[in-house]
Amino acid sequence: MKRNWMKRQQLLGYLFIGPNMLGVVLFFILPAIYSLYLVFTDYKFMAPKMSFIGLDNVKRLLRDEIFYVSLQNTVVFLLAVPISIGLAFLVALALNRKLFFKKTLRALYFMPYITSGVAVAFVWMLLFHPKQGPINAILTSLGVSNPPGWLSTTEYSMLAIDIIWIWFMLGYNMIIYLAALQEISGELLEAAKIDGAKPYQVTYKIVWPLVSPTTFLLMITGLIMTIKTFGIIQAITQGGPGNSTMILSLFVYKNAFRYYEMGYAATISWALFFIIMLITLVQWWGQKRWVHY
Amino acid sequence: MKTSKWITLSLVFIVLISMLGACSSGNNGSGGNKTEGGQTAGTDKPSAPVKLMMWGGVPPESGPQAVVDAWNKEHPEIQVEYVRFVNDDDGNLKLDTALLTGQNVDLFVNYTLTQTQKRIDAGVALDLSAFTDYNILEKMGSNAEGWQVNGKFYGVPTTRSAFFVALNKDALDAAGLPVPKDWTWEQAREYAKTLKPATGYGMVQHLEPFLDPIDAALTKEGYVKADGTSNLDSPSVKKWLETLGGMMTLDQTTPPLGEQITSKIPVENVFLAGESPMLNIGAWLLRSSNNFTDFPRDFKIAFAPVPRLVENQADYIPRGGLGDYISINAKSSYTKEAWEFLKWYADGGMAPMAAGGRLPASNAADQDEMVANLLGDKGDTYDKESLMYVLFEDETPTHVRELPQEVTDLITQEYEKFFLGNQNADQTTANMVKRHNEYLKQAK
Repeated sequence: MKRNWMKRQQLLGYLFIGPNMLGVVLFFILPAIYSLYLVFTDYKFMAPKMSFIGLDNVKRLLRDEIFYVSLQNTVVFLLAVPISIGLAFLVALALNRKLFFKKTLRALYFMPYITSGVAVAFVWMLLFHPKQGPINAILTSLGVSNPPGWLSTTEYSMLAIDIIWIWFMLGYNMIIYLAALQEISGELLEAAKIDGAKPYQVTYKIVWPLVSPTTFLLMITGLIMTIKTFGIIQAITQGGPGNSTMILSLFVYKNAFRYYEMGYAATISWALFFIIMLITLVQWWGQKRWVHY
Repeated sequence: MKTSKWITLSLVFIVLISMLGACSSGNNGSGGNKTEGGQTAGTDKPSAPVKLMMWGGVPPESGPQAVVDAWNKEHPEIQVEYVRFVNDDDGNLKLDTALLTGQNVDLFVNYTLTQTQKRIDAGVALDLSAFTDYNILEKMGSNAEGWQVNGKFYGVPTTRSAFFVALNKDALDAAGLPVPKDWTWEQAREYAKTLKPATGYGMVQHLEPFLDPIDAALTKEGYVKADGTSNLDSPSVKKWLETLGGMMTLDQTTPPLGEQITSKIPVENVFLAGESPMLNIGAWLLRSSNNFTDFPRDFKIAFAPVPRLVENQADYIPRGGLGDYISINAKSSYTKEAWEFLKWYADGGMAPMAAGGRLPASNAADQDEMVANLLGDKGDTYDKESLMYVLFEDETPTHVRELPQEVTDLITQEYEKFFLGNQNADQTTANMVKRHNEYLKQAK
């Protein structure tokens, strides 16, 4: 009787996840396997036939200088994640205190995250305008004689994208940190104070270790999300000027949907997958040293 | 307890079944359309009209809707519906997907030979040599040859696609400069210097034809040298880089490319507002310049051919000729009906498109009437003589863009680095050659 009940429970469980699993298998797992097959072909969208070409795509990738440029830019782009997390932690600390307009400020910080990416892109393009943009106006009034050309130069364009991305992720990171800060029991903080800890010591020795699982979570999800993003760059610079903002995900997009080079695009996607995998594994391994549950 | 579980279970089933139902009804819907279509073709229901779908990149309100409406009124048995796709990467991808997956596309417009080539390879562009009742070369003139692939037409080039430099005639007159009929980039540079207003630029360029000077020179010289390597280090390429680079930095007569890209300078507005006296653009300018509500202007527009990079006209094949290459979907069940529509369209049915700058290429269409359509009631605000020259009288042989997208992009990326001052002209051409060679090896 009991086993029967269990069985029925299991069946019910499967029924519940069934519709979703169907979607995952059809639209994710099968295409993923198929894309692995494409790596070994020269399949081009619209081309009449495709043939098996072994490892030629991989060889081509390793020879492709744009791949290395994109890889480098991707690393620079990923730097935005820890910076954004660090800033979010500070903002969350501030907003966790008694403060006027606390709720309004929280909402304001979260706004970017729920704003349409294209709108965000256009506003930032105006802000970064080398001649009429407010950012350079401020820099000039602060005494910077030769403010950078931001998106119109190859040297500063990736930095500009990073700034946008830090700003974009800040709100989300901050909300998660706020939740984590409210979990911290007041007793611990009081005990530290009674023992004579100074505020920065409380923050560094008590609060930061206590929210470390949150930091770890934000780090992993942030890096994965960032490495997959290309929409905002496509909207602002399309990878230019030159190749200065070409990142791997955009490189995949261009090869697949601009050049119709599906086999090659699949190869880059798998390279991207291994990079994400590697980063995540390194973090799992590294977390033992600094994450405290 | 037990009942509540059964309720949940049955709810799950209901959800599942309704989902499956939705799926299958969706399938029936699209499949049903098709079989229905097949039957009408099989003439057992002759009364139902044939429905053709035409995909084009022009917004319906800029002409296509009026064209289709006119046809539908005259031909109740063949009804055409116009679908717009945006002529960019995403839009073309949408069209290609629709073509490959057999959605209803009967006619579609190609804007470059690059895209057409892919569609021919995929077998979705019908070889029109089966239709013998319309001689495309005779009707459209020898410029149509550029659109032939292996000596065959896979579509009908329908418009005169003019590329030109639009000039502020009033500014030219004030400076005592004639409207050029044949000029080089050096001369254009001098014009820009003379005409440069106190604030603003002597010349602005639309980014679509920006690359054309190189394309025009190399179409003549060849993109590939005799030994099979890239010819992108030709002196013409370097000359173009240095001329334009000089205009951007030394003369400051044209916007630095970095500024133009990031601030997306709306060049039509700048020209039509009188802020810049020269604009390198194509026939689509007329869509804006005829629109006095959004772009009020108080000067006359004159037209000059696009300047040459080289001294000798014979060493240069500018872009232009014919455009809007309309193909019939080879998988369509109504290729014959589509062909009837296409002939009518090319021979003057497309008249309403003229107001948007698209003049019919066919000699069956009345030229004067078309120009009247093109200019509308704004005829007085154009310099007719130079307009007629760039549209009809200039007999320089032209080419249509057929450069693969990868090559266009690599040239663009490298010249951007040059104009931003990251590399000098020699490095730029060397990089172009290196990447082009790599591409040639890959594409082989």
